[in-house]
Amino acid sequence: MFACIHAPGLSPDLSLREFAYSFSPIIEETRRDTVAIDVDGCELLFGSAYELASEVAVRAKQSRAHGGLETAVNVAVAANPDAAIHAATRLQGITFVSTGEELTCLGEFPVDHLDYSLVNIEKKVAGEILETLKLWGIRTFADLASLPAAGVSERLGQEGLKLQQLAAGKTERQLRVKQPEPVFANSIELEHALSELEPLSFIFARLLHQLCAALDAYALATNELSIVMQLVDQTTHERKLSLPHPMRDHKVFLKLLLLDTEMHPPQTAVRAISMACEPVKPRVLQNGLFVPLAPAPDKLELTLARLAKLVGEENIGSPVLLDTHRPDAFSVKRFTLTELKRRKEKNAKCEMRDSNLTLGFRMFRPPLRAIVEANQGWPTQVSAWSKQRSVYGKVVNVAGPWRTTGDWWRDDRWARDEWDVTIESGSKQSLYRIYRELNSKNWFVEGNYD
Amino acid sequence: MSYVELHARSAFSFLEGASVPEELIAAGLALEMPAMALLDRDGVYGAPRFHLSAKKNGIKAHIGAEISVQDVGSVPVLVKTRQGYQNLCRLISLMKLRVPKHAKPGECVVTSEELAAHAPGLVCLTGGFDGPIAKAINNAQRAVEWLIEVFGKKNVYAELQRHFDRDEEARNHLVIELARRNRLPLLATNGVCHAIPARREVSDVFTCIRNHVRLETAGRLLAQNSERYLKSSDTMRGLFADLPEAIANTAELSSRLKFTLEDLGYEFPKYPVPAGETMTSFLRKRTEEGARWRYTGLHGAPTYERALPQIERELKLIEKLKLEGYFLIVWDIVKFCREQGILVQGRGSAANSAVCYSLGITAVDPIGMELLFERFLSEERGEWPDIDLDLPSGEKREKAIQYVYTRYGKLGAAMTANVITYRGRSAAREVGKALDFDEETLGRLAGLVHTWEWKDPKDSSERQFRNAGLDLQNPRIRKFFELYQMVQDLPRHLGQHSGGMVICQGQLDSIVPLEPAAMPGRVVVQWDKEDCADLGLIKVDLLGLGMLAVVEESLNLIRDCYHDDVDLAHLPQNDRGVYEALQNADTIGMFQVESRAQMSCLPRLRPANFYDIVVQVAIIRPGPIVGNMVHPYLKRRQGREPVTYAHPLLEPVLSRTLGVPLFQEQLLKMAMLCANFSGGEAEELRRAFGFKRSEARMKAIELKLRQGLQDNGITGKTQDDIVLAITSFALYGFPESHAASFALIAYASAWLKCNYLAAFTAAILNNQPMGFYQPFTIIKDAQRHGLKILPIDITCSDWLCTLEEADDAETRRHGDTETRRRVDVGIRSGENTVSPRPRVSLSPRHAELALRLGLRYVRGLSRQSGHAIVRERAVRPFAGIDDLRNRVPELRKDELRKLAGVGALNFIQTHVANQVNRRDALWQVERVTRSPGELYRALLEQDGNSPLQQMTLTERVDADFRGTGLTIGKHPVAYHRGELKKLKALRAADIRMLRDGTFVRVAGWVIVRQRPGTAKGFMFLSLEDETGVSNIIVTPQLFDQYRLELVGHPFLLIEGALQNQDNVVSVKASHVQPLSLTIAAAPSHDFH
Repeated sequence: MFACIHAPGLSPDLSLREFAYSFSPIIEETRRDTVAIDVDGCELLFGSAYELASEVAVRAKQSRAHGGLETAVNVAVAANPDAAIHAATRLQGITFVSTGEELTCLGEFPVDHLDYSLVNIEKKVAGEILETLKLWGIRTFADLASLPAAGVSERLGQEGLKLQQLAAGKTERQLRVKQPEPVFANSIELEHALSELEPLSFIFARLLHQLCAALDAYALATNELSIVMQLVDQTTHERKLSLPHPMRDHKVFLKLLLLDTEMHPPQTAVRAISMACEPVKPRVLQNGLFVPLAPAPDKLELTLARLAKLVGEENIGSPVLLDTHRPDAFSVKRFTLTELKRRKEKNAKCEMRDSNLTLGFRMFRPPLRAIVEANQGWPTQVSAWSKQRSVYGKVVNVAGPWRTTGDWWRDDRWARDEWDVTIESGSKQSLYRIYRELNSKNWFVEGNYD
Repeated sequence: MSYVELHARSAFSFLEGASVPEELIAAGLALEMPAMALLDRDGVYGAPRFHLSAKKNGIKAHIGAEISVQDVGSVPVLVKTRQGYQNLCRLISLMKLRVPKHAKPGECVVTSEELAAHAPGLVCLTGGFDGPIAKAINNAQRAVEWLIEVFGKKNVYAELQRHFDRDEEARNHLVIELARRNRLPLLATNGVCHAIPARREVSDVFTCIRNHVRLETAGRLLAQNSERYLKSSDTMRGLFADLPEAIANTAELSSRLKFTLEDLGYEFPKYPVPAGETMTSFLRKRTEEGARWRYTGLHGAPTYERALPQIERELKLIEKLKLEGYFLIVWDIVKFCREQGILVQGRGSAANSAVCYSLGITAVDPIGMELLFERFLSEERGEWPDIDLDLPSGEKREKAIQYVYTRYGKLGAAMTANVITYRGRSAAREVGKALDFDEETLGRLAGLVHTWEWKDPKDSSERQFRNAGLDLQNPRIRKFFELYQMVQDLPRHLGQHSGGMVICQGQLDSIVPLEPAAMPGRVVVQWDKEDCADLGLIKVDLLGLGMLAVVEESLNLIRDCYHDDVDLAHLPQNDRGVYEALQNADTIGMFQVESRAQMSCLPRLRPANFYDIVVQVAIIRPGPIVGNMVHPYLKRRQGREPVTYAHPLLEPVLSRTLGVPLFQEQLLKMAMLCANFSGGEAEELRRAFGFKRSEARMKAIELKLRQGLQDNGITGKTQDDIVLAITSFALYGFPESHAASFALIAYASAWLKCNYLAAFTAAILNNQPMGFYQPFTIIKDAQRHGLKILPIDITCSDWLCTLEEADDAETRRHGDTETRRRVDVGIRSGENTVSPRPRVSLSPRHAELALRLGLRYVRGLSRQSGHAIVRERAVRPFAGIDDLRNRVPELRKDELRKLAGVGALNFIQTHVANQVNRRDALWQVERVTRSPGELYRALLEQDGNSPLQQMTLTERVDADFRGTGLTIGKHPVAYHRGELKKLKALRAADIRMLRDGTFVRVAGWVIVRQRPGTAKGFMFLSLEDETGVSNIIVTPQLFDQYRLELVGHPFLLIEGALQNQDNVVSVKASHVQPLSLTIAAAPSHDFH
């Protein structure tokens, strides 16, 4: 015999499967709110199948502290799991479907409610069959069951027959019992809230050690760690560590996590910590004999993390030019070890560019704020200075303006005129690029040409 | 030293330029530019508008184009002479015609040899960023040498553009060096893409649309700055202060470009006449022959003597304007149609002419009908005649079009274009996409665009946006709003006009470039209908008219089934039945008089003769409605108001229409009489209001009109009334000749319906979609008039609806009455329907013929399968469903199911004949469509008995609607009459008897929803039940209150006060309730 538990009002944080395990180890989780149990052999513990169903219904109503679901459930007992599932999902309370009398119970169910996935029929095929049944005026399970099997087989094939048997409650199958999925997550609730990094580091180490052990057991690694800290002010502090390559070295993880926590400390003391990671296959790499050794990825990551702590995360990585006319627009891309081939291509491009004999430009970062005298818009005198450098003198030669405007659909639209100017200071002449922001009307010296 | 912009693109460089030609000219005028050149990409699409606008503003318009040349780049060329223009048009035609319409970028190019062959008469510029020098930067000298070789040294100008761009300036240095080395003149241009800087945003959005990217991701595809606008001489002189000759050369080159579109050189083709004849003599002979036939009393009014002077007057004018060829060509097309048995009828400005009537082009006698002559040819207006030929829509019209192509050659005739512009939802979606709105927001933004014709003035943009949950304070939404407004009416791409053809015997490609249309076998010119007219290209409109196809098919059915030979040209005049039907507004299916508005006017106007139908056709138009002409006319007609004239001068013009102007010609005449307009000025007035190009133009004309009225002492309210009448009319009014032509077809359709209902209904059903009502309504109306409709039946239905001898129809195949009783009630002919009062006078022949629905009404059945069924059945009847399946392999499983579902297989012969019903057929169909294989064939059931229950009544109606969109059984509402009685809902037939002001409830199926622009926000519903149609009026307030119910629900219960005036019955709704009836219904016909 089989029992089916259907819990329509199941709270999202409760597991019906876990609940069902307290009655039998042979369980099929049909859906999140529906499980089927093989009750054969449970007589000694719970008595008859009906008594077991009653016990299930009673326990389900109990609080979660007592192992209950805090909701009413439907329980149906039948000779085959599919009849039990249909009965439990359609009928409230406890239903006992007598063997051979399935249609008495299921007969009036609408044929649209046939759960075709139970007999492994694809949605598209089932849809077509149901559409045909609709044309035939077949509305209930009983209608379908009453059709001649040969006629159904001729017209709807084996799938049609399966559905007919499903409607009649006559299917025969075993439960699809599933092994529980491994969990790569861990959490701890602290007796006393911690606000210092050092004591926290012990907790981190413990959790990470457990996580890495779990990964090790399944020969897996991870490239993303999620840490959620519950704080004493009822808020949470969430961090995510993304790694360039899958790893499972808990020491490296700990160092990275500590550096990250130093850079992004929680606002108040921590009272609970949860960690989870996304398991992936470990990186398998074989270096070539003649390839120069690159730094080990884990060490590189640690170094980058230490540097990020010193200079700020936004200031570390490789600069990448953006596809825009906005002058000097670039973003900083996370630094990763590139393949040798690409490096070669890049070198080739650099060589090509060098052969074009372009003028080198040395950019002042930040640009120097300047005072510019202009005649009919053309600069005649420039003076600008900062702690490191100063630019002062008469403009003796000028080219421009070179005008760029854009991002007009955004708040931070830009518009500026650039000039290439030769500035004479004493007897020395130097070539600079100056520009004027058209929105603010301010002048700047952007850099000089070598 | 003035600067002339010689390299400007308009929005006709589709998705590149961001200003229409008129905007460019307006900007040029503001900058006092003496001339300007338009160089759109691979076309002269915008040239007519550019030319006309320039001409009006005293600017010289130079024409040119940027030509895409393979491996060379985009070569800007300017037209120097007429030969150059012809070369340019031929070159573009050559490029366009050899690739399909939607060719990929880069495919639509000319070769350098082709460019060289068409270079005479053209001047070449070296181009901007995509020009030949920029493309061959490392081999620029060679590129320049090639250009000199192709165009000649004097015709190559080294083009310099300065947009404050470093790379461009570097290129300029190279160009200057090349110019000096090759002794080429320098020429400054600004490579204009938009008239003013602000339009750069539109240009960027277009770049995104063109490249299928978003603004955020477009990067360097976007413009670097906003400098490609039209700049003044001072600005350009400042920019080229170091190269003054580059500015000076613009004026010099401009003076060399002698060609303008005035000098187009278009001549209408000559009609080939027999030896010894000239076109003039040939036309005269044909006209005289026709006049004798038309006017001597044999086939029309005996007014030959009266007609002759007018014919002579017209012929002289035609000869003077050298238009004999045009009239002969139109006559030739009409002759071809007649020979091929294609119904054809002419309309248009030239249709008022006795010549056209004599030639058989039109069917309206302008002398007999005393039509005004003002809209025929006018020497003064310099406007060409316009003749529209109405043809049956579909294959026959295509045949006529292909005849014109064959007769005048591929390069001799082409369709006029239809410039598709950004409007409404398309603008909202594309701009929204460029701004990277998600799908949901895009949907909401597109939803903001009005779908109904009526625009509520309270619906401000702010309110609409707020209602859609969009905050106009949000910068992105605000920007969307600005851009959405900016792109309105900008060209998007070129389409094909529905029927306008330009003819130019073999040389059309030297007048205007030709392009392939999306439809195979069609060629379009690059100009739209108005542009062609503006430049004096004569067009003939070959328009498809669904009703002509219906009339034609009706005549065929009458000949074949009734064995009557009806001559459309000689239908009995003043048929009492026709006028009774019109007076009772019993007009469903009739041409032009079937709409809800027409029906509510007919019982008041009570047409009693043909001219009344002409008035009826013309009166329900936005012009008379907006001009407040309808009610005065009706009141005067009913004698409730005296006939007066706004001014005594108007009496001769308006006496026929009781002092109320109803036709366009009357308006023109009014302007001529009261405001001293000449014929040409009056026509100019009509055109100024005729297309929405310029507010300023309309204002100027109105001012002139008022001045003229003032001069004649017409002031105050009289002046306002006359101005309102003229201005509201000019746009939407009907010319009398059009109304008369339509009235002829309306009379014919009414006569056919009243006398040959079966044939007329079958023809209408065979030509769907058309008209105002869904097939279901047409069928119910025919049934109410006593027509027997037979169900779709695989054993006798053709693809189209056909006529059968009603009594034999079923007994012929299904001998015993027992079988007939088995026919599903849902598809049994209307024996259960209520037939309240058939108002059309029925001919006894109606009782003899029944209409058999065709297989085309089975939804999802392909035409190919339908014809295959008919073909195989002709060989021998089907022995059963297996036989059908075996002999018609085209039939797919789902098609068989559909046929079974609608009962079309019920009569197929089986060995268990007594058991056949729709479910039996469905049971059989599933078996025959699944092959069991040889091994099991013997084991499978032999008995055709199905274990399935027969369909219930509701199921059958539901299956009818789902499977065919109609039912010939009881009306869906009739099944619920019991429930509706409990709700105290009356039937449509009942409320006609009630007095005005009675509070009533009606319920029915919404068959039409309308919210016309002229109705000030009122909505009109037509509710159908088993007895007819009730008309419902919904006030704007009630519409706001019940918007969802009114727009979305198929069945409604309406409460309100009955309005019953002059036999026009409607209910003014005060409460709306959706009804949940369990029967499916076809969707309503909504007019947005």
